[in-house]
Amino acid sequence: MDSVLFYIQFVLAPQMVTGLALGVAVVLVALGLTIIFGLLDVINMAHGEFYAVGAYLAVALGLAGINFWVLLLLIPLIMAPIGYAVERGLIQRVFNTGEDRHVTTLLLTFGLAMVIEEFILIVFGVETMRPASPIPGAVEIFGLFLPNYRLFLIGFGLLVVAGVAVAVYRTRFGSMVRAAAFDRNMAASLGVPVSRVYALTFALGVALAGLAGVLLAPIYSVFPTMGRDFIFIAFTVVIAGGMGSIAGAVVAGLLLTQVQAVSSLFISPVWSQPIVFGIMVLVLVLRPQGLFGRLGHA
Amino acid sequence: MKTKLKGILAVTAIALSGSGAAIAQESVKIGVVTPISGTYAPIGQQVRWGLELATKQVNEAGGIAGRQIELIFEDSEANPSVAVQRAERLFEVEDVDFLTGTVNSGATLAVGQLAERVGKLMATTVSFADSITAGQCSPNVFRVNARAGQQSAALAAWVVEQKPNAKVFYLGPDYEMGRSTVAAFKEKMTEFGAEDVGELFAPLDSQDYTQYFGQIRAAQPDVLYTSVAGNDTVRFLTQMQEFGLLGDMLVVGASGTITSQNITAIGDAANGFGTGVGYSTRIDTPENNEFVEQFRAAYDADPDLYGTDSYGVIHFYKAAAEKAGSLEPDAVREAMRDLTWMTPQGEKLMRGGDHQAQQPMYVVQINGGSFDIVGKVDGETALGADLCERF
Repeated sequence: MDSVLFYIQFVLAPQMVTGLALGVAVVLVALGLTIIFGLLDVINMAHGEFYAVGAYLAVALGLAGINFWVLLLLIPLIMAPIGYAVERGLIQRVFNTGEDRHVTTLLLTFGLAMVIEEFILIVFGVETMRPASPIPGAVEIFGLFLPNYRLFLIGFGLLVVAGVAVAVYRTRFGSMVRAAAFDRNMAASLGVPVSRVYALTFALGVALAGLAGVLLAPIYSVFPTMGRDFIFIAFTVVIAGGMGSIAGAVVAGLLLTQVQAVSSLFISPVWSQPIVFGIMVLVLVLRPQGLFGRLGHA
Repeated sequence: MKTKLKGILAVTAIALSGSGAAIAQESVKIGVVTPISGTYAPIGQQVRWGLELATKQVNEAGGIAGRQIELIFEDSEANPSVAVQRAERLFEVEDVDFLTGTVNSGATLAVGQLAERVGKLMATTVSFADSITAGQCSPNVFRVNARAGQQSAALAAWVVEQKPNAKVFYLGPDYEMGRSTVAAFKEKMTEFGAEDVGELFAPLDSQDYTQYFGQIRAAQPDVLYTSVAGNDTVRFLTQMQEFGLLGDMLVVGASGTITSQNITAIGDAANGFGTGVGYSTRIDTPENNEFVEQFRAAYDADPDLYGTDSYGVIHFYKAAAEKAGSLEPDAVREAMRDLTWMTPQGEKLMRGGDHQAQQPMYVVQINGGSFDIVGKVDGETALGADLCERF
């Protein structure tokens, strides 16, 4: 009996809590992706690279002496105009290619991803960097050893998700976004400035990617190919949760990382990826629209 | 093809047996197939520096038996099939006398087969895979650097000294290198009486190692061995530190686990990490101090083990060719076997039975961002038995 309790307290519980921290990280990355996908119907292959740019900006500005807490606010503010410009300057130009839209925007953002990655390589070099943890140390709760920064990440991440949900479901901008996602032409004829709403939504998605970059840099470190890191799991989360669904991204993100965390206790961690992607395939076969419906279609 | 090649060899032999003055005119050609582009480019850079420095010094001192050395570089792109194409060009078109520079073990094995086919000699200065001078040894391939087995033997001997009867946990990256390094180290540790409390193989580029901490925590090891590399090491060790798992656990690993490329990002979490290596700039001998000084003056960088062993291979070839009194591969091969020659690491012995260099091995431990030498294992103990059965 004691050994069971020991196992729950010292093995299973820490595993689930660390899984939760990873889950919040994944949700943060997936959030921007799902919003862009749900509204613009654009598969943003450069999302991971925007995440990387956020992290690199955090490192560079951090070295310049800017406080981490300021960066948390500053980076999304820098990233949003970049996202706006990318949507206006690049995506908008190939957006109206009708049937081919998925292909053209996918190729465009894929190319953009490679350009950004090489750019990072040239500017910052190949060396791995890591900003110091802004809240070092750890606390012990019921014998559970929890790093302070991970606890902060869980709390702050959930706040960000709630903030985005409020923005999409409770504000005027949010209702325009949802209207444009549901029926673009109808929304336009009702006076919604659709192309500006698209650009602003893209900017929001990119700002969220940058925010995730700042938040996760102290844990996952910063290097040129970091953009590819979370992108597969983030896409999985978006697909399993329902494209464009915020609730879906949260539920799927937390669920899949828990599956990963708990399963890796019993079987080789190498299997955790096949399991996660297997779940994605199952969802696609059984419920192609995802666990939750699309944004604006629910 | 074969007759043409024999013709070339015959001509070379005639040229060699000719007058001394005629020989002095012709340079000794050494082909270098090494990654100049791609992931391994930093290693290729060290290889090139080491070779060029040694060549310059040897040439200034009169070359090999009065003949100047000429290096001819080809980019292997760290790809075995490209390496073979480039090596073929060097052997057939440039007619090089000797070949070196291959980095990844796959390239060394593939180029080694080619060398055997065309009847020329080659040496690697970088590849770690034990098989190159064991199960897949070739009469035409030599290795002047220490193989993986020598590194892990040295490290294991040191770990056992620090923590007798330790409980050891192993974590490697999930591909051939990771699995073979873990298997080799585990075998050594078991020999020394350590208890195996678990092993894990994490996919390359795992973001979060915390999902493995459950198993590590449950095993309660005293010693953790890891052979992850690059960014994986950064995440693994800093996350271990974040979760207070490092504690008084002794963390040891492969020599490529922590390098100058990732040590800054790892920070404090690297302190105490120990590994077995064939070279350190801190080896305090007159030969090494002089070498480090010259290397820094020439390239404004520290030599690493790849640069040093590449420096050493030029002296190896020079010693063998002068002993043989010819550049004819069969004669040079005979001269290379059981040859001792000087390197920055001290005197090395090329074991005739498997073409593996024997050298003293060192254990280094990280202390505040620098590697301190904390142990030394003599060459014979670290090398172990000759497992080559082909010649």
